[in-house]
Amino acid sequence: MSALRPRTIAITVLALAGLALPLVWSHPFVLHVAIQALIWALFAASWDVLSGYTGQVSFGHGGFFAIGAYTAACLTKLVGASSWIGMVAALLLCALVGLGVGFPALRLRGHYLALVTLGFGEIVTLVVTNWQSLTGGAFGMHDYGTFSGLPTDPLAQKQAAYLVVAAVSLTGLAILLYVTRRTNAGPAFRAIREDQILAASLGIDTTHYKLLAFSLSAGFAGLAGALYAYYIQLVSPTVGSSASSALVIGMAVFGGVGTIWGPFLGAILLFSITEGLRFIGVVYNLIAVGAVMVVFVIFVPRGLAGIRLYRRGRQQRGDKLKADQEAADAAS
Amino acid sequence: MFEEILEFLILGLVLGGIYAMFAVGLTLIFGVLDIVNVAHGEFLAIGGYALYIAMVVLGLPAAIGLVVAPIAVFVLGLAVYPLLIAPLQKRLGRRAPGPLFLVLTLGLSALLQNSLLAIAGGEFLSVPPAVKGGLDLSFTYISGQRLLILAVAGASLGLLFLFLRFHRQGMAIRAVAQNPAAAQSVGIPLGRIFTLTIALACGLAGLAGALIAPLFSVYPAVGFTLTIKAFAITILGGMGNLLGALVASLIIATLESLSVIVIPSEWQNAIAFGTMILVLLVRPQGLFGKKP
Repeated sequence: MSALRPRTIAITVLALAGLALPLVWSHPFVLHVAIQALIWALFAASWDVLSGYTGQVSFGHGGFFAIGAYTAACLTKLVGASSWIGMVAALLLCALVGLGVGFPALRLRGHYLALVTLGFGEIVTLVVTNWQSLTGGAFGMHDYGTFSGLPTDPLAQKQAAYLVVAAVSLTGLAILLYVTRRTNAGPAFRAIREDQILAASLGIDTTHYKLLAFSLSAGFAGLAGALYAYYIQLVSPTVGSSASSALVIGMAVFGGVGTIWGPFLGAILLFSITEGLRFIGVVYNLIAVGAVMVVFVIFVPRGLAGIRLYRRGRQQRGDKLKADQEAADAAS
Repeated sequence: MFEEILEFLILGLVLGGIYAMFAVGLTLIFGVLDIVNVAHGEFLAIGGYALYIAMVVLGLPAAIGLVVAPIAVFVLGLAVYPLLIAPLQKRLGRRAPGPLFLVLTLGLSALLQNSLLAIAGGEFLSVPPAVKGGLDLSFTYISGQRLLILAVAGASLGLLFLFLRFHRQGMAIRAVAQNPAAAQSVGIPLGRIFTLTIALACGLAGLAGALIAPLFSVYPAVGFTLTIKAFAITILGGMGNLLGALVASLIIATLESLSVIVIPSEWQNAIAFGTMILVLLVRPQGLFGKKP
């Protein structure tokens, strides 16, 4: 472990510097991109828990995101609830919906599960478009305010919103990483991904853990949706469209499916890059996402996270070579 | 009331023809390559754009446009296997692909759809109908374009079934669908059959896109909703089952057009998705599939 320590410190310092950058360089556009990138990062990490880590691929995660966003917006607009209550409610409701979707999806695998979740996402979009009395139809909901208790000065408000989003998003990532790396659920999720039948034969309650993965993943996707609703202050049916489901999959593939922190970082990077492309033209960022998906699936299937693993493998081979050399020297 | 139902039945039949041309191709690709082509709708959109270029930009007659459009999409479809799918298959080797092909075609879909948006813009481009006039039944009027759709859909699907049944290449496609390893061992080149299958299915989608262009206009996302509907249809018909897809197309289209009598038309799209989820839960192998 001690060999890892300098690298761990370096990563921590880099991460903190990256997080502090938007506060130091407080250009409104930089803050705007950074906040949205963190929201997408939490969304991508939540997708990865179910689809990458547990292997139950969801093509309709935008549906959970939309439900979270609309829950938060409705609670604040109709009841006047504070944003903290809205976020918790979005998390809990989406976890419940995830359980509801997960239950019938238990018997489905592979293509079929992907298609049924795609259908789920489309149904959510249809409902929020047509339930006009509650959701405002195609124009969406607005005028419900941002996070509670932010300063009114525009720049200070953006900075405070950044702090709130960063705190919530990183806490979400920490919880997801904790559950998958430090509890019994992690190995169970991986076992289900590798071989469901073998996992069951080893005494792993696959039903229980699959439902856990579904509700965990859906809950945090909903939390990301609530963050989006409070920051953008406008939710419309497009937030849950299949385009946003596709975008989150593209981000996860870019970062490295199945590592959870990979999609988190991948989303931040890809979102920042594609927002940068907006200066060239709005449509190019989605072309870039499509191209990234195609190229990465074929040539870099483990994403950016996988590149690190490759380097470590090479280093280990180098170390082994050196040890062999020394052993040979000692022998002669 | 009876005449109203008959009118919607006829509309459903026309819609069913379009769905069938689209879904049969989708299920053919699934049956032969075991891949769900999420980008299928984009080939339909490209077919529509090809017709637009031929008829409106170049001013060619409609008949030529209707021939050129599917051929253009067919040629584009020829590139899909060697450029995208073969490299991934080669890299995977014998490992289970999991969702990788779905992600690949989803990426292709985003790429093509937004490229269309970048090149052609988001406007709804209208195309003049290929045939003027129509058929005046006593209770309703069917436009010539709809009759043309029925005729062309019937003819092209009939030709496809004949091709698969009797032509050497068609029989090779069926052999690969049944057992790729055995087909390869009797000398069928898998790569060529895969390329041909995808191109055929894409060409059919392109023809469907050219046929509906005068009815629905042409815009980049014209195919995507149809893709999701076609998933529902292929699942209802049993994935990989061509005749099942044909029958399921007619069922879904008829249900959709008859539903307008009972429920508001905004909810029309929910029928396909609802059917899909219901079928997956009750009878995942589809109407005509065998129990796995």
